[in-house]
Amino acid sequence: MEELQKTNRRNFIKAGGILSAAFALNINSFDAFATGRLQKITILHTNDVHSRIEPFPMDGSRNQGLGGTARRSALIKKIRAEQENVLLLDAGDIFQGTPYFNKYGGELELKLMSAMGYDATTLGNHDFDNGIEGFYKQLPHANFEVLIANYDLKNTALYQSTKPFKIFKKAGLKIGVFGIGIQLKGLVDPKNYGETQYLDPIAIANATASLLKNDHQCDLVICLSHLGYKYRDAIVSDQVLAASTKNIDLIIGGHTHSFLTVPEDVKNLGGQITTINQVGFAGINLGRVDYYFEPGKKKKLKLSTPYEINNWLDKS
Amino acid sequence: MGMIRLWIFILTATFLSSCSTQYAITKSNREEYSINDKIEVDSAIVRTYLPYKQKLDQEMTKVIGHTSVLLTKTSEFPESVLGNFFADAVFNQAKKLEPTIDFVFPTTKGGLRNDISKGPITVSGVFELMPFENQLVLFKLKGSDVLIILNYIALTNGQPVAGLRMNIKDKTPENIYINGKPFDVNQTYMVLTSDYIGNGGDDAKGFANPISRKNIGLLVRDALLKEVAELEFAGKKIEAKTDGRITKN
Repeated sequence: MEELQKTNRRNFIKAGGILSAAFALNINSFDAFATGRLQKITILHTNDVHSRIEPFPMDGSRNQGLGGTARRSALIKKIRAEQENVLLLDAGDIFQGTPYFNKYGGELELKLMSAMGYDATTLGNHDFDNGIEGFYKQLPHANFEVLIANYDLKNTALYQSTKPFKIFKKAGLKIGVFGIGIQLKGLVDPKNYGETQYLDPIAIANATASLLKNDHQCDLVICLSHLGYKYRDAIVSDQVLAASTKNIDLIIGGHTHSFLTVPEDVKNLGGQITTINQVGFAGINLGRVDYYFEPGKKKKLKLSTPYEINNWLDKS
Repeated sequence: MGMIRLWIFILTATFLSSCSTQYAITKSNREEYSINDKIEVDSAIVRTYLPYKQKLDQEMTKVIGHTSVLLTKTSEFPESVLGNFFADAVFNQAKKLEPTIDFVFPTTKGGLRNDISKGPITVSGVFELMPFENQLVLFKLKGSDVLIILNYIALTNGQPVAGLRMNIKDKTPENIYINGKPFDVNQTYMVLTSDYIGNGGDDAKGFANPISRKNIGLLVRDALLKEVAELEFAGKKIEAKTDGRITKN
């Protein structure tokens, strides 16, 4: 209903007629304005889960007892029970790291992610570990999207199995999500990535984010990135990506297994905020970013940040 | 429709036409959840993975050896206990197949995927250390190409090796000994590595123009499994340590 309402409103603005406005503006839109009702989207995310089906064993190792899909699923269910509009996303490297992958080839990882209701992931370098065909073979177990905008896969088995982006509609809001992958040459055995063509992540990210925000009028644009959080050298990273692009609100990162104390907010090329987050690896943590929206005009920049940021949740 | 209502419509329409049609973010709240034993377990998920787990556990929980020290890696120092154990194990096993090997560089530091705790070693523990299906490949290389490898090792602050000793000074190798003899750039060397590194993985350099290259028919992980099992059979525990094979001064 809210989606319909917004479309109608846009049509009206184009038409510019008062009578069509009277027709288009239904009771719902009055309510939204009158009460100043906020829309809220909850983004949950993981990265580099690396086949960690069960918690790390209690063997004195650094991460003993942490992680585990059964707990992650319970937590996600609890959050879904409290929040209406949840998107569950992953930033790649689902495969490799425990014998579950060696024995079953990733089938179980994708089955469990499907059961948890993941909406999308991107391709990490280790997702190529059994070759393009090895990933393709397991795709029937995934009921979520694999998003990758900067790999040209048309000469591979994955042709038409992935999408550059997807627009999710929640509470009348449009959330554009796209994927960006790392340079595979030097990182993945050439026999495993085959004819995959790597395209410039910054150019592709900029073009895709602009398409989503300007052409498709997305209210929120999220990049699932497997580039890595930051590097000492001048290698493209999430920090570089954030500062060299505009129209991306949130980068959900991976690859470097970085445990960020809090998400990092970078001023992007458009002078807006691009937030980077990454939550370690192996499903030790689940990240959460809530966005609150107000319908209508974008606020003028008054402070250094155009919206309020808290590293805590509102008490419900 | 009364006049007042019409006016409300007109005002609203005027307001709307000056607006972006998109919603604006007004606030963002962030939180991170630790997935630990304080969280309940979703039994539906456990039911899904249990059949996979039972089949796997039968194979994986078998104890195949023991270590008297924690096998752990570090990126701070140019060698680590885990890296030395790994390289020595591969060297020992590969030498049985290929006695001419001068030195081994079977993994990068990044390829050491998990520590092995002090005590019993399971098949699973070795799989988690080395989950990849990499083959061991023997390269016959010109001294000049070996020097490229040594430079790579020095530039990356040391890598797991056996049969090679050197010091890193200002990111370059010096006092290099291969198979006990001083390095000679005019000689050829037999270098064992993984197909991953040999194909330029982790940006490793020096393997692109070999005199010859052959697959020795042994997976890296199988070399580790064999070494652990053989030591156990001989009644020995793993006693790996750092021994100054790569120093930095």
